[in-house]
Amino acid sequence: MLRTNLRIVLVLLLLVSPPLFAQTLIVHPGQDDPQLSRTSLRAIFAMRVPQWPDGSPVRVFVLKDEHPLHVRFCKSVLGMFPYQLRKIWDRQVFSGTGIEPTVVDSEQEMLIRIAETKGAIGYVEHDTIDNRVKALRTAL
Amino acid sequence: MNYTPMTLKYRCQSHLGGWKTAQSTNLKTLVAGIRHFKVSWVFAPLILMSFSSCLQAEEIDWDKRLQVHGFASQAYVHTSDNRFFGDSDEGSFEFTELGLNASYRLSPKIRLAGQVLSRKAGDFDNGSPRIDYALLDANLLGTPTFTGGLYLGRIKNPIGLYNQTRDVAHTREGIFLPQAIYFDKVRDLLVSSDGIQLYGHYYLDNGTLLIQGGAGYAIADKNVEYTFMGRDWAGELENNDLSFVGRVLYEHNGGRWVYALTGVSSTIDFHAGAADRVPFPAGAGLSSGELQIDYTVLSAQYNGEKWQLTAEAAYEDTEYVGISDSFAARNFESLGYFVQANYNFTPQWQAFLRYEAFHDINDWDGEETAQRSRESSQFLLDNFGIVQIPSPAHNNYSKAWVFGGRWHINPSLMLRAEYHIIEGTSILSPREEFRPLAEKNWDMFAASLSYRF
Repeated sequence: MLRTNLRIVLVLLLLVSPPLFAQTLIVHPGQDDPQLSRTSLRAIFAMRVPQWPDGSPVRVFVLKDEHPLHVRFCKSVLGMFPYQLRKIWDRQVFSGTGIEPTVVDSEQEMLIRIAETKGAIGYVEHDTIDNRVKALRTAL
Repeated sequence: MNYTPMTLKYRCQSHLGGWKTAQSTNLKTLVAGIRHFKVSWVFAPLILMSFSSCLQAEEIDWDKRLQVHGFASQAYVHTSDNRFFGDSDEGSFEFTELGLNASYRLSPKIRLAGQVLSRKAGDFDNGSPRIDYALLDANLLGTPTFTGGLYLGRIKNPIGLYNQTRDVAHTREGIFLPQAIYFDKVRDLLVSSDGIQLYGHYYLDNGTLLIQGGAGYAIADKNVEYTFMGRDWAGELENNDLSFVGRVLYEHNGGRWVYALTGVSSTIDFHAGAADRVPFPAGAGLSSGELQIDYTVLSAQYNGEKWQLTAEAAYEDTEYVGISDSFAARNFESLGYFVQANYNFTPQWQAFLRYEAFHDINDWDGEETAQRSRESSQFLLDNFGIVQIPSPAHNNYSKAWVFGGRWHINPSLMLRAEYHIIEGTSILSPREEFRPLAEKNWDMFAASLSYRF
């Protein structure tokens, strides 16, 4: 009886716990938390927002299009597919109307680049975060 | 690419000269000024800065301010009949696209961008490098829900979903864009303009509204003359009149659905040469006049994980004013459209199916125009003994089924192949093919290898 109850509790806990591979948005430690909505995040990762409210340039970092974390980030945080972002960036880059983000090779590089770049924004797995960067509490 | 700096330098100087003479002449100063001045004005600092950035790469974190990208694509085109992009009926490699661009951020609000393009495209284009765009982007307003600003210089016209990057293989949905809307036979008329365009991006709760539009001078070249005037006349087409372009594009839910409406209005002057003015029947008896072209495009697209559906329709209204009665009789309204379905087996492998068509709205099957052509040939023969082969009905429309696929070998490299089953020859240019004798039913196979960075 006790064992059955324990199992039920465990299953319930699993159901309500955060997903195993949660991604978290990170910014340069000097950045205020801008409380970004999904709409703002889409605009930022589409490279359409050149500067933060304080006037400093926005610097976007992403992993490669096919990187599993990038794919999950696009789908769950932005609600887009990687190819859609690529299409938007390409249209901007090859018509002169905008630029594309800086592509990094790994989460470790992501942490380093964001820690050292003012105005930087990117994402890592939740358990990769360390105190060199600031995690955003985003209402998603 | 070692020609790039030399070419740019030469063009900068020649355009500076052009600016001096233009300075005192007319009152359309702002845009006319941009037209003569833009290349030197926009490019000189860009070049200087990119060079200085390269030299001081150690000191400046240049990747923060400067982005350099490029592309290269080579296609093979084989048609059963008719010439399209060179001697395609024997197999043609005359479709090569090369581009190199740079974007340099002067400040968070000001950015310079330019691209050099070389395009070998059968008899349409000989591959000589040209400035595809060269602009200053001033981002004047920014709030969490809006960004807005202006572009100044040579700007790619935002027409439909594809015009702005039409020469970049990776941004197209096939080796060729649908010819029913994105005519390669008269590419330069609509591809870009020299002037000013304003833009505004509105970030709404459920989507993004992107508006861009402005005024500038279209680029009229020989392809425009062949397509709209039938041949290369002694006179010239000149782009002395302002053209207007505007597009409203809405991306719903992060671009899951995209809708766009584009309007273009372009006027091109025709200056008849002495030989063109010789009265009929010894000559064509043309006067100087103008071509007025209005173009409206409706676009819709669905972007799913596996499926992508795209449909666009374009209405074109062309009028010949004051050139001759026979040109005035050629005024036409046309409708071009396509529907395409793409399926992603994986992000790397994709297949597509497309139907595209182009028709004269007032003469859907081209028969009335063909009848007039037969009557005109008979008249010339009976009265003047002039032999003119009449233009058949299938010169006035085209319909095609296209299927193909692509493989992203890696993020930079892409291999493509596609097959077109075509009825009608309106997509052919008199510059490449003597259209009255062109085959009505023809097929086309094309393959391409494209690189981007």
